[in-house]
Amino acid sequence: MKNNIKVERAIKNLTQENLAQKVAVTRQTINAMEANKYVPSTVLALKIAKLFGKKVEEIFFLEETD
Amino acid sequence: MSNQLLLPNKFKKVGWLMLLPAMIAGVILSVTDYQAAWLNVKVFALVNNGFFDKPQFFSLIETNITNTLVGVVFIVGAILVIFSREKTDDEYIANLRLKSLQWSILLNNILLLFAFLFIYGTTFLSIMVYNMFTTVIIFIIRFNYIIYKSKKIAIGEK
Repeated sequence: MKNNIKVERAIKNLTQENLAQKVAVTRQTINAMEANKYVPSTVLALKIAKLFGKKVEEIFFLEETD
Repeated sequence: MSNQLLLPNKFKKVGWLMLLPAMIAGVILSVTDYQAAWLNVKVFALVNNGFFDKPQFFSLIETNITNTLVGVVFIVGAILVIFSREKTDDEYIANLRLKSLQWSILLNNILLLFAFLFIYGTTFLSIMVYNMFTTVIIFIIRFNYIIYKSKKIAIGEK
């Protein structure tokens, strides 16, 4: 799974740390997601989408291998 | 969404304070075979037997508990270190914790397999004794290393 958290974050002008605090996770989690090293739980994906005011599908995408 | 079997973070410090001295003491004990004389006490034994005796069940026996004591402190300390939350703990950290556990079980069994194949005699027995403790040691090292690494990477970026 891929995501465009980094882009959305830039639009909102948030650092990884800011975003981490807003969705109550560690900074490592945001970092690992942006590096596509970690697939978040559904709860976290929904929280991030809500924060950016978008649908989950607009932030997280399936890849061909999924 | 927190359904993990974890203790609060403050137990981690207590765990380290037990684990590290016990680890050092354990190594010293296994090298020197030291037994503190004042630790000769009566204990309740579910089972007790010497090399050639028939086992006794449910009896009070007199024995030296130096090893017992160090072992208990080690195990309780290790449980506290392993099963306490990190200062900041979330689903990703939980994921790393499970991955480290998987990794340490694998590595420990590879080492065990190696010992079974290539080590014989009394050395094998002492390796079995160490092996009781290596899974948790490998796990703790691996988990803390990964956490350290992921923190370092995260701090490098904006």
